[in-house]
Amino acid sequence: MSALAEILFGGLFQGSLYAMMAVGLALVWTTIGVFNFSHGVFMMLGAYIAWQLVELGLPAAVAFPIAVVVMAGVGWILQASVVRPLIGRPNIVLVVVITTLAAGSLIENGALTIWGPRSKQIPALIDGNTTIGGVGVSLHQIAIIVITPLILAALWMFLNRTRLGLALRAVAQNEDASHLVGLNVTALYGLAFAIAASLAGLAGIFMGGYRFMSPVMGSDPLLKALIVVVFGGISSISGPIFAAYLIGFFEAACSYYFGLYWTPALLFGVLILTLMVRPEGIFASRSRGLA
Amino acid sequence: MTDTTSPITQIRMAAANPVAPGRTPWKHEAVGFVLGFTMLALLPLLFGDTYARHILIMAFIYAIVASNWDLSLGYGGVFNFGHLALFGIGVYAYSLLTKLAGLDPWIALLASGVIATLAAIVVTIPILRLKGIYIILVTFGFAQLIMQVILSQSDITGGTQGLVRIPGLYWFDHNMVRDAKLAYFYIALALLVASTLFLRVFVRSRTGASIVALRDNEEYAISRGVSIVRQRMLTLAASAFFTGIAGAFYAAYQRNASIDVFGMSLATIILSMVLLGGTSTIYGAIIASFVLTIFAEWMADFGAWRPIITAVLIIGVMLAYPSGLAGMIKSAWNVVAGRIKRPA
Repeated sequence: MSALAEILFGGLFQGSLYAMMAVGLALVWTTIGVFNFSHGVFMMLGAYIAWQLVELGLPAAVAFPIAVVVMAGVGWILQASVVRPLIGRPNIVLVVVITTLAAGSLIENGALTIWGPRSKQIPALIDGNTTIGGVGVSLHQIAIIVITPLILAALWMFLNRTRLGLALRAVAQNEDASHLVGLNVTALYGLAFAIAASLAGLAGIFMGGYRFMSPVMGSDPLLKALIVVVFGGISSISGPIFAAYLIGFFEAACSYYFGLYWTPALLFGVLILTLMVRPEGIFASRSRGLA
Repeated sequence: MTDTTSPITQIRMAAANPVAPGRTPWKHEAVGFVLGFTMLALLPLLFGDTYARHILIMAFIYAIVASNWDLSLGYGGVFNFGHLALFGIGVYAYSLLTKLAGLDPWIALLASGVIATLAAIVVTIPILRLKGIYIILVTFGFAQLIMQVILSQSDITGGTQGLVRIPGLYWFDHNMVRDAKLAYFYIALALLVASTLFLRVFVRSRTGASIVALRDNEEYAISRGVSIVRQRMLTLAASAFFTGIAGAFYAAYQRNASIDVFGMSLATIILSMVLLGGTSTIYGAIIASFVLTIFAEWMADFGAWRPIITAVLIIGVMLAYPSGLAGMIKSAWNVVAGRIKRPA
C-alpha cells in the first residue's frame, strides 16, 4: 500500500512539474515552429525573481504573481530579440537553437553575476507536512499537485474557448491565412513565448520552494521536458500533458523498484522504443496543430 | 528546405555546365590545403611560449570537433545534438582504456575513435525514421543519457570528480613535457590535417554527393536509389571517428577527464563555431574555431563577463551574417574572381 502511494504521489508531483515545462515548449513549437532552448533558463529566472521579491520584503502571495508577470515580459523580449528577426530564414530551426542557447547562456551567467553561486530557497506555497497512505508528504507538494491541473485546464480553456486562444491556434495551423484574416501574427508569436515563459517561471517558483536553487537549476527540467514532448508528441498541448504524468509515474516506479541511477537509462530506453514504433509520439496526431 | 526546381530542370542545368557549378577543382583545393596547413605548421616558429601554443592546440581540437559536426549537420542535414557526447565518449574511452586497462596510449587513441564510431551507429538507429526537430530531441537525450551513465558509475568514471593523472601520449624518447608543447602541437596539427583531408575527400566523393542529395531532396534521392538508412548511418559514423580521436587526444593532452565535456556551454561554443563558420564547407568551421578560440583568449581579463560577451556576439553574428564567415569569404572571392575573368 505504501509503495503504491509513494509511486502515485511521486508520479503526480513530478508529472505536474514536467507538464508545466513541456506545455510551454510545445506551445512555442506549434505556434512558431522553433524550439526554445532557453526554456530551462526561464524556469531558473522565474525562481530567482521570486526569491528577490521575497527578499525585498514582499509577501509570497504578491511576489509570486509579480514574478510570473515579469517572466511573461522576459519571454516576449527574448522572442522579439532572438527569434522574430530570424523568421523566414530557410534554416530557422537550427539558427534559433543556437540563438536561444546563447540567450540562455547569457541569462544564466547574468544570474550568476547578479545573485552569485550560493544556493537559495524561496518560501513554500504552504508550510507543513502530512501523511497520506503511510507516506510523508509536504503540503507544498500537495499544493503543486492540485494547482497544476487547474492551470493547465485554464490554458486549455484559453486556447479552445477564447478568441485570443483561437487566434493563437490559427497561427499555428496556417500562418498565411492568419495574416489574411487580419491577425497580428507577430504579436501572437510574442504571446506564445510570454505564456511559455510564465509557465516555466511558475514551475521554477514551485521547484524553488522545496529544493535549493542555483543558476543551472533549469537544465535538468529542460531535458525532462524535451523527453516528455518527444514521448507525447510535440504537435499538441494535451499530448505532452498526458506524457508528463505518464513519465512522472514511470520515473517514480523505476526509482522505487530499480533505484535512482537506472531511472534515466530506462527512461531513455522507453523513449527509443516509442520513437521506433511511433516517431510522432504516442498521443499525437500527424498534423501540426494545437490542442 | 525542399528545392522547388523540378529534378529534370536540375539535370538539364547540370548537363549544360559540365564542370559542377560552385565546385572548386580539386587541384586548386589541394594547393590551398597544402598552403594553409604549411602556414599552420610554421606557427611554432612565431609562437615560442607554451601558453600561445596551448591556445593553438585547443583551437586545433575544437576545429576537428566542429568540422566533423559540419559533416552531419551541414552536409547531412542531420541535427545531431549528441555530437559533443561522441567527443566525451572519446575522452572517457581513452581515459579508462589507458588508466584501467593499461592500454598503450596510441592504441587507446585509435580505439577511442572506433568506440565513438560505434556509439554513433547506435544513436543512428532511433533517428532513422525521424526528421528535423525530433532528431535534435533524441540526440540531445542521448548525450544526456551518456552523461547520466558516467555520473552514476562513479566507481569507475570518478563521477562528478572526473579522472586525473591520465597517461599522456609519447613520441619515441622525446620529452613531451619540456619541449614547450611542441610535440603535442604537431600531433594535434597532424590529427587536424588527417581529419580535414578525410572530410573533404568524403564530401567530394559520390557518397558525399548522395548525402547532400538526401538533404536537399529526400524523395528524389531515394527514388534514384540512394539508401537513406545506409547513408545516414555512414554520415554519423564518419563524423564520429575523428571526433572520438579528438576527445582521446584532449584527455591525453589535459591529463584529466571531467564531466564538463558533456555540458551545454561547450556544446554551445562548438555549435556556434559550426554555424559562425558557415555550414557545408568544413573549412568554415575550422576558421571559426580559430577565430573564436583566439577571441576567447583576448577576453580572458573579463572573467565572469566572458560567457556573457560571447553569447551576445554569437547572437549578433547569427542575426547579421546568416551564411557565416565562409559565406562572407566566398562572396568576396566571387566578386574578385568575377572581375578577373570577365573584365567589365
